[in-house]
Amino acid sequence: MGSIRGKTAVVGVGEVPTGMYPERSFIDAAVSASEMAIKDAGIRKEDIDTVIPIVVVSNALDNANMICSWMVEELGLGRTAKSNFQVASGGSSSANALKTAAALVNAGLSKAVLVVHSDRLGTGLDLGMAITMFAKVSTSQEYEMPYGFSQLALAGLLQQRYMHDTGTTERQIAAVVETNRKWAALNPNSIFYKKPITIEKVLESPVISSPVRARTMNKLCDGASAFIVTSAERARDLTGQPAYILGLSSRCTHFTVTQQPDIFKAWSPAVDEAYEMAGIGPGNVDVAELYDAFPTFTLISTELTQLCGRGEAGKFFEEGHAAPGGKLPIQTNGAMMGQGHTGAGGGPALLVEAVRQIAGKAGERQVDNVRHVIVTGSGGVGMDFHMEVLGKEV
Amino acid sequence: MSEYKKPLPLITRTSKVFYDGCREGKLLYQHCRDCGEVIFFPKELCPNCMGRDLEWLESRGKGKIHTFTIAYAAAPPEFAEDQPYVLAIVEMDEGYRMMSNIVDCDFETITCEMPVEVVFDPVTPEVSLPKFKPVVRKK
Ligand SMILES: [Zn+2]
Repeated sequence: MGSIRGKTAVVGVGEVPTGMYPERSFIDAAVSASEMAIKDAGIRKEDIDTVIPIVVVSNALDNANMICSWMVEELGLGRTAKSNFQVASGGSSSANALKTAAALVNAGLSKAVLVVHSDRLGTGLDLGMAITMFAKVSTSQEYEMPYGFSQLALAGLLQQRYMHDTGTTERQIAAVVETNRKWAALNPNSIFYKKPITIEKVLESPVISSPVRARTMNKLCDGASAFIVTSAERARDLTGQPAYILGLSSRCTHFTVTQQPDIFKAWSPAVDEAYEMAGIGPGNVDVAELYDAFPTFTLISTELTQLCGRGEAGKFFEEGHAAPGGKLPIQTNGAMMGQGHTGAGGGPALLVEAVRQIAGKAGERQVDNVRHVIVTGSGGVGMDFHMEVLGKEV
Repeated sequence: MSEYKKPLPLITRTSKVFYDGCREGKLLYQHCRDCGEVIFFPKELCPNCMGRDLEWLESRGKGKIHTFTIAYAAAPPEFAEDQPYVLAIVEMDEGYRMMSNIVDCDFETITCEMPVEVVFDPVTPEVSLPKFKPVVRKK
């Protein structure tokens, strides 16, 4: 396998605030995020020749329209765009879009790729519809649907087994939420800006699907974000600090959670490959942006990426090491727990945050001397696992 | 008799064999005659060797709870009246896993690795759903 280490870079990012915005159309949000990314990159829009929208969950019509060149028309790319197609793999969509964009650029098929996500899970569909929809995705109609599966139940199933296997406590799970909200409190684009929460408050909330509590679930929100990928060579001529793509790898394993293998065995090769391609190890990671959906997944990913040993992540969060001022900042935008669940948007938001940390544009959340950031993604019911390593220098 | 309001399984060429078995009190799974792979959910093609010589075997119906959750709220609407109920992934002795409900027990006592055995719940004349209850230890 030929390495693409250091040959491509993310050069610009954009993001609109996440939250409840009934008056904000989903395409307006997508356009705003794209506009910000283009300006941030200092790139001429005419140099963008591929647009990759990421799957929309809240509205089937919006989803169908996004792949039909809507963004190409809105941004006036009608004379220069060569390709417009969608990437859809839920929470790993941003990882797959980044991989696809980097591959197109590296192959000489695209000069610059705009990846954009926008969705309205907060106001675009009511809670009943959301519960019904999330109960029917990533589950077998033949053998599972009769039993009352839901994405919340999934969180319960995974947390129960993770706690059983590792001895992680409910308090440690709550510490992840506290950490996410500490970061979110510093993030003006988060629905929880200036709204931290304590471990005690999390533990006071009612159990919804044991052992998951109301405040260990994330909030459905509206949001949009965008990023631009181009060659490392071109990136140097643009304004700002590029985030070079140093390594990436992934593994896909299953469709329904019932069939989930031992993920530490099945997914670890992706982590090893990404570190190897980048030429770094976990000890060189300055910031980690780990895809969450719920706090147990944050802990699992902290261990999968070898930032902590097996079963040690809960203690790591409880002791504050992942929080602002800690020795290894994790999920510095607040992740989905802190920024809200925007469908597939949690992934691009983390990638955008990783790029901001490398470019020194993370505001109050900026970590000092960031050279390497890892980003992860996972779609469906943990159907796959992706890891990317971004760096300040090649 | 009240009408059954929860989702019924989609009946396909393979799931029909499975649910015909359930109606007769048999829990069936597949076995690949070519490579020996134990297969569940049932398939047309062996995912290990791509063989098509798949046979149906009857499970002993015993396993242990791999993991579980008790749904107290926010379950799919058809299940709202049943809350709280237990959703679990059961690891069968034959080496495959299935999703089901844990019934006939005190929820407080459920743990991962707890031994369970199958019971069939005849929810309609056509469909009996395999569910699981804790194995009662003989004294
Ligand atoms: Zn076989």
